[in-house]
Amino acid sequence: MTSLLQFIPNILAMPAVPVSQVVQSETLGWASFILWLPLISLALCGLCAVCKVKTKAPAIITTICLGTSFVLTVLLWQGYEQPVIIHLFDWLQVHWAEGSFVANFALYIDSLTLLWMLFVTGLGTLISLYASEYMEHDVGKGYTRFFAGVSVFLFAMTCLVMGDNLLLLYLGWEGVGFASYWLIGYFYQKPSAVAAAKKAFIVNRIGDVGLALAIYLIWSTFGTVQYDGIATALASHQYETSFGDWTVHAIPYLLMIAAFGKSAQLPLYVWLPDAMEGPTPVSALIHAATMVTAGVYLIIRTYPLFMLDSHALETVAWVGGLTAFFAATIGMAQYDIKRIMAYSTISQLGYMFLGLGVLSSFGAAYHVFTHAFFKAVLFLTCGAIMHGFAGQLDLRRLSGLRKMKGWKIVSYTMLVGCLALAGFPLTSGFFSKDVILAEAFVTQGAGFKFLGWLAIFTAGLTAYYTFRVWFRVCCGPVQYEPGDELHGGDETSFHPHAPRFAINFVLVVIALGAILAALPYFMPNETDGLHGGWIAEMVNDSPASAGVPGAVVDSHAVHDSGHTGDSGDETHHGDILGMDPHKAMYFISAVVGFIGIAFALYFHLFRRKAADTLRSKLLSRRTTRWLPTAMEHKWYVDEIYIALIRSPLWILGKLFSMIDRYIIDGALVNGISSLPRAAAKWFSPLHNGAVQSYAVSMIGGAILIVLLMLFMPEIVEFLQSISQQGGEHTIASLGGAQ
Amino acid sequence: MVDRLWFLIPELILLSGAVVCAIGGLSNAAAIRRRVGFIASIFLIAACVSIPFVYSQIHVVDSSSLYPWLGKYVKFTVGIIGILLVMTSGGLMDRKYEHAIASGKDRFNALRTSAGEYHALLLLSITGVMLLCEANDLIWLFLALELVSLPTYVMVAMSRWSRVGQEAAMKYFFLGAVSAALMLYGFALMYGATGTFVLSDMMTAFAEQRVDGGIAIFGQIGLLLALVGLCYKIAAAPMHMYAPDVYQGAASAVTAFLAFVPKAAGMIAIIIILSIVGWENGLPSIVEMTLWVVAVLTMLLGNIGALLQTSTKRMLGYSSIAHSGYMLIGIIAGPPLGLVAVMVYLVIYGATNTAAFATLASLSRDGRSIDSLDDIAGLHNRSPLAATAFSISCGSLLGIPPLFGFWGKLMLFAAGIAAGQLSLVIIAAVSSAISAWYYLRLIGLSLLSPNTPRSESVTISLRWPLIAAIISAIIAIGGPLVLKSLSSEARQAINQPE
Repeated sequence: MTSLLQFIPNILAMPAVPVSQVVQSETLGWASFILWLPLISLALCGLCAVCKVKTKAPAIITTICLGTSFVLTVLLWQGYEQPVIIHLFDWLQVHWAEGSFVANFALYIDSLTLLWMLFVTGLGTLISLYASEYMEHDVGKGYTRFFAGVSVFLFAMTCLVMGDNLLLLYLGWEGVGFASYWLIGYFYQKPSAVAAAKKAFIVNRIGDVGLALAIYLIWSTFGTVQYDGIATALASHQYETSFGDWTVHAIPYLLMIAAFGKSAQLPLYVWLPDAMEGPTPVSALIHAATMVTAGVYLIIRTYPLFMLDSHALETVAWVGGLTAFFAATIGMAQYDIKRIMAYSTISQLGYMFLGLGVLSSFGAAYHVFTHAFFKAVLFLTCGAIMHGFAGQLDLRRLSGLRKMKGWKIVSYTMLVGCLALAGFPLTSGFFSKDVILAEAFVTQGAGFKFLGWLAIFTAGLTAYYTFRVWFRVCCGPVQYEPGDELHGGDETSFHPHAPRFAINFVLVVIALGAILAALPYFMPNETDGLHGGWIAEMVNDSPASAGVPGAVVDSHAVHDSGHTGDSGDETHHGDILGMDPHKAMYFISAVVGFIGIAFALYFHLFRRKAADTLRSKLLSRRTTRWLPTAMEHKWYVDEIYIALIRSPLWILGKLFSMIDRYIIDGALVNGISSLPRAAAKWFSPLHNGAVQSYAVSMIGGAILIVLLMLFMPEIVEFLQSISQQGGEHTIASLGGAQ
Repeated sequence: MVDRLWFLIPELILLSGAVVCAIGGLSNAAAIRRRVGFIASIFLIAACVSIPFVYSQIHVVDSSSLYPWLGKYVKFTVGIIGILLVMTSGGLMDRKYEHAIASGKDRFNALRTSAGEYHALLLLSITGVMLLCEANDLIWLFLALELVSLPTYVMVAMSRWSRVGQEAAMKYFFLGAVSAALMLYGFALMYGATGTFVLSDMMTAFAEQRVDGGIAIFGQIGLLLALVGLCYKIAAAPMHMYAPDVYQGAASAVTAFLAFVPKAAGMIAIIIILSIVGWENGLPSIVEMTLWVVAVLTMLLGNIGALLQTSTKRMLGYSSIAHSGYMLIGIIAGPPLGLVAVMVYLVIYGATNTAAFATLASLSRDGRSIDSLDDIAGLHNRSPLAATAFSISCGSLLGIPPLFGFWGKLMLFAAGIAAGQLSLVIIAAVSSAISAWYYLRLIGLSLLSPNTPRSESVTISLRWPLIAAIISAIIAIGGPLVLKSLSSEARQAINQPE
């Protein structure tokens, strides 16, 4: 339980990036175009909307702008030497005697920012290219609106990642939330899409409140919202404790709430599956690859703050581990392939939070990086299928895609994604997941060992449900039914239309990315003895390294030295079955993955009937009936939330509305508003329009004032006598002013 | 003496303008007759242009006034708003008669025209406000105030040749006489208490008396009566009762004038009179208490009174009463913040209130001016521009951020809080919230509601008032950009270095 506390002294002494290294850059002004290009794209999309453009121009504009943004990011990364601040303009600056509130429009560029920006802008470009074909049936209708939304999203995401202070991050945070609302509700004629958009927005709001409060507390505790200022204050223990100690303990939990809301963790995950109502490119870009990782980014960026409370990271680990398992069980029993992917996203995000919790910020960030690619490719293949089969997403109604003409690329890129997601040996997902799993066994913390085994079990479930999709949809005999978006022709004459160049090209590129994402793990880095290659250096050269053992030196050396002298129980944590945890994990997770795939192979390719028989067997027995039912109904979480939160609020709302109508409006407002009328009637003889009565009231008023003044001493005496009866003997003499 | 005359150059320009207008209005040439408004505007512009030269550092150093820079701020802003008011009056006078002459149905008779006189009176009244700034004794102060008021009585009377207009004018005149009598009586008592009319001497006399244990009772009663009399000019309780009747009775253009020019004069006069007593050691408690009660009553009576009105002009009349109450907060708060806020608020209020009345002035039904709330319903269907200008002005009067009115209220309330008048500011905020009810109703009626059978026949008949409304609305939106320089000018006007 006290495991994290032991790090605290040296963490506080060690800001992630020594502040003296952070320099204001004068020459990197061009980097701001990474930020402005999406905004320019938005303006041009707006222009297209005004001119009622009926071509694919908005897609071309957006793709070019985002592509340029990506190129600039790559250039910035190539020229990167040390963390810099690029000051764009003064935004909010309030100074007063005791302090100040400064939030400039400035970019904070360190390797973590660059890592995030590389995949955000890169995937943004590719997915907008994909969407140019995917959304073509809407050209001239919602096409411009869609790409404007994507531009807004990219702008906000860039603010979120590149901002040099928490307020700019908050701007981006709200901005991506808004863009997400905009794009989930893209098909606004569909009631379910509107409901999903609202749900996403409202659930996110809970997290946003957490972030707002956290920013306020950070500002009141450290006197600044700028990252370098916070790091300095942490390093020198200069923080305001006039509110008491509780603020430093509250900050990590509030940040956590924000992160759980945006990254769809327990208990705030419910919006993400519904968010699949949006167009698939949106699901791929926003709800799988980039926006939902903002929570991970937030925690990594403020990682030193999480060391302030000894249980904060343990909470993160537990929430992440449980979410990973919980979402995987739901994903196993769904039939809608996009929803399966949504639950798998929640599950994988859970892994990332587990990684953060077990002091493996590098593992979390690396998993974000690999996940961005393989989940994007999975969603995009789902999108291609949806596009070709008129909205069909039910895995029971699709089969044998692999053997159909024109669907080869989709099938095999999907396989690449599935392999990575299932953690098949030597794929990118395999390495990134193993870092997290291994660290769960290495780091000491309450129940981390249990979480480790749970995560391994979840890895097996992941492999199963992933390949359930692939074996069902891509293998087996060729069978298909069109979905409910069938336009023209009847069901019998339906021919799926295979994807064309843009979709196939993007799929291939991102699938290659998903394969190559394993490479950074092996690319040599310049830090001596740092495990994890190039990408570890990118992550560790940032606040993420705070408190992480082995961030500077070889991790195993620290683990080993840390474990010598510990009790036998403690040493057991340091390795798995007597082996180096990383190497052991390679074998364990590979075996677990194979088992999962094998189950999927049996139930969903060789003997598809067996799955149904198993299900009906479970259903027929009273003792086991609950399991498949509950899983198919997503453990009834939505229903529970409705019963526990929505219904009481609704009843409360009704109650307040009744109070408002009958007591406030009825008795108070109408009652009070009848007072002036009564008064008006009372005074109406005075206000009768006759000039004499006006004059009388004027002079009367004047006389009243003069009389009041003349008898002022008496009045004051009278008032004093009243107040003295009340026990106040020391009232100041009001008459003295005379 | 030459020095004082130098500062009166803007007034002299306006006086000659008044003469030119009065004569030009009688001209046989229709081209000149119809353009007295332009002539008046040109003289106002000339006066405004002269002000920076008149109030140069070299000359102001020699000035013996209480507030040597006050004239620069007040004359300039009143001059600018005066131009808007002249535009608002465009087409008000002699419209039908000129039509008849132009179409040959009638012949020109100098006795039957009134445009020239109207503009001459308008310029004279503005001259009065300007003269007020140069007052350094009570006689001058009183004469200047009367120069503001007397022309307005005539303007109300001549603006509408109907029974309502005449009744309004008579009421306004009689009650104005009563208030002037009260004020003059107050001045006499102040003279009795100090033995002088010269403001700076009175100031020393009062200061000595306060050191010796309080201002003489004569002086206190005099101060109170003077303040009560001035309350008439700013339409504050208990002297507010005329305002709804008169504002409703006069033509909208004249109402716009009444709601700004006498009010500005009254506020400046109150500032001058109170500065004789001085804020430095706090106002005498009786004066502060009276002002407090007057402010509270004015805000509440104005805003609550407006709630139940069915006449737009009456509603805006009550609202302008309430705005006097807000400005009194600044007066109570005193220098520097409070007075700066009052100075700035006067300008903001003048511009936005003019927009509201100018919109009304531009509308008519069958050549008759409109009045009821019903008439502005669905205004956006007939003139989106007018509806927008009207709504912006109402929004600014209500104080919706980021419109100009919001910043004005913010300054007033902030000054009040800084001066420790928290309860007063809370009352002001509450009454400001009450005012939202009727301002939003006006906005809703003009911007959102559909036409009513009654409002369908309402048309935009006059162009110049609409232009004035649009300019004022632009000021209401763009004003915050110049707020900083405006308030630094106001700071200079009340002798507070930067």
